[in-house]
Amino acid sequence: MSQATEESASEPSAETIREIGHDEYDPVGTFALIGLYFLILVFLWFFMYFVEFLGNDPTVVSGTAVVVALV
Amino acid sequence: MSNVYIDQFPAEAKVIRAAFYSSFLALALGGVFGIIQTLHRTDFLRFMDSVDYYTVLTAHGVFLVISFTIFFLVGIFTWAVTTSLDRGLEDIRFTWGWYSLMAIGITMTGVAILAGFTDAIDMSASVLFTFYAPLQAHPLFYLGLVLFVVGTWVAGVDWFRSWWAWKAENPDERIPLPTFMVLTTMLMWYIATLGVAAAILLFLLPWSLGLIETVNPLLTRTLFWFFGHPVVYFWLMPAYMMWYVMLPKFSGGKLFSDPLARVVFVLFLILSVPTGIHHQYLDPGIAEGFKFIAMTNTMFLLLPSLLTAFTVVASMEHGARQRGGEGYFGWLKALPWRDPVFTGMALAGLMFAAAGFSGMINAGMNINYLVHNTFWVVGHFHLTVGTAVALTFMAVTYWFLPQVTGKALWSRSVALGQVVVWFVGMTFMSNAMHRAGLLGVPRRTAEPQYEGFEFQAAVGSIGELDAQIALGGVLLTISLGMFFANVVGTALNGRSDDLPANEYAGALSGPDDAPLVLDNLKLWTAIAVVLVIFAYTFPLLSIIDRGGLFGPEVIPFPLTVESATTLGFALETAASTSFESAGEIATSALTAVMR
Repeated sequence: MSQATEESASEPSAETIREIGHDEYDPVGTFALIGLYFLILVFLWFFMYFVEFLGNDPTVVSGTAVVVALV
Repeated sequence: MSNVYIDQFPAEAKVIRAAFYSSFLALALGGVFGIIQTLHRTDFLRFMDSVDYYTVLTAHGVFLVISFTIFFLVGIFTWAVTTSLDRGLEDIRFTWGWYSLMAIGITMTGVAILAGFTDAIDMSASVLFTFYAPLQAHPLFYLGLVLFVVGTWVAGVDWFRSWWAWKAENPDERIPLPTFMVLTTMLMWYIATLGVAAAILLFLLPWSLGLIETVNPLLTRTLFWFFGHPVVYFWLMPAYMMWYVMLPKFSGGKLFSDPLARVVFVLFLILSVPTGIHHQYLDPGIAEGFKFIAMTNTMFLLLPSLLTAFTVVASMEHGARQRGGEGYFGWLKALPWRDPVFTGMALAGLMFAAAGFSGMINAGMNINYLVHNTFWVVGHFHLTVGTAVALTFMAVTYWFLPQVTGKALWSRSVALGQVVVWFVGMTFMSNAMHRAGLLGVPRRTAEPQYEGFEFQAAVGSIGELDAQIALGGVLLTISLGMFFANVVGTALNGRSDDLPANEYAGALSGPDDAPLVLDNLKLWTAIAVVLVIFAYTFPLLSIIDRGGLFGPEVIPFPLTVESATTLGFALETAASTSFESAGEIATSALTAVMR
């Protein structure tokens, strides 16, 4: 009664217009979406690190730089 | 007999209903305190004294992240085990036993917190969800928490009993995925709660009862975070379970990979606990090296979440393509966006993706300094537990409530509106909280405005951020109202014969493709324990070595106005003394350098 396995088949709902099996399925949309997410993550991380973190004084990093410069 | 859950397992459905209603009661209370503090903090409506802010904040935190989430998840875990093993629980009296323990426990804790609003009873527990010493609560608060957690432990035993009984009858079968998820989550929970059990039973409760004079605040705090980080996975893993076993079904497809789902839950079991110290990057008294180990573990923990993002999106895409979707992004249009259950979960997942970003910032040891103890962190966890978990739970309620009551949902349109309003409200509120945090606005503060000082915003202003936060808070409250209207409306409905069958999603790549070792729970538990020993033995020993098991002398600090004034004066004196001495040191150092 429980899992809609391949045998008992997740009753193809009214909206299902085709069955796509394991071998025919190529998740290119997932690749595109996750790729886009990855690009956003990388951009935001760079923004956070270089603009917000290093741009906001004092930070540990810039503090160290000042000490090094003084020495 | 129909294929609805209440007909298959009537006794269990009753327990699940009780757990759901307890959870919703907590959600209502927590929501009320949420809007009160939002309007207070942003200074739009202040009808209470700021002294009561911590009581409101404690109630908001504990009711939502302890009672709402955990009552709901014990409900769906019970559903998951019984449905996927296709057998009732071994002894329903045992089940009612753990439910009662949880209910009595959280009532005790709740009474202790709410008593803080009145002077008529000499009781308070305004210690926030984190109950850091030296903030001290009434013993009832700690005792209640203990009973509640013990209740969840016994619940775990109940589900393990079901699995053992099933295994005896089906020795060669793989553990069905939902049960596998419940068991791994509970194993993680057993390890994680050892920390909070030790903090409460060995230190905080005896201290609150007056049996011991002092505690070591860093020790109890570290033990809290031993539990405090994995508890977020205790909320999140049930939401993940819904995304893996239900969302593909509602998308019109199948789970992309059962083995990958198992890998994810195993990774959570072994990596959730040895990471807690990343909440303590700014705590003095823990060596940087230990913090670095915690950071490394935390970064590894991104892996199961990213695996989940891939698997869940791939499963949704499978559904969309079966429904006729085409193209790289065009398939998104083919998803069933008019279904509140689907839309709620999908929007929750989208918010979780945003939370992944702010979580990465929190996790980095250096960049964490930028946001630590600011409103950013509050924005972050309103995306995770406040949306990824809460919105998923509310959305699946629209499927589960008919299953466990046998009654049709009151209104699908209101349900759809509810999940969208929640998403929009949280977008306003959480985004503004993140930005405010970057400006340095602190968290846990009733009145975050100071005379003679203004937060500098490069874009926008504090007034604009406050307006967004208040607007978001109001939208979230409206959304909660719509949710409860649906819950009550459904409960008042008559029995329906036209409900969907109780089943969960099939898998494109099923359990037979998963290596057998994944089901070896003993192995993964052993690895998890070893990692915890590696990550925590030396930090804990060093904390005890420096500060003593029961700490240096600490003045117990129940939150009252008198003690706040005294403490404020003491801090002021200490600060000015240390400034003076720092000034002297600096002067002498400068003189020495000039010479």
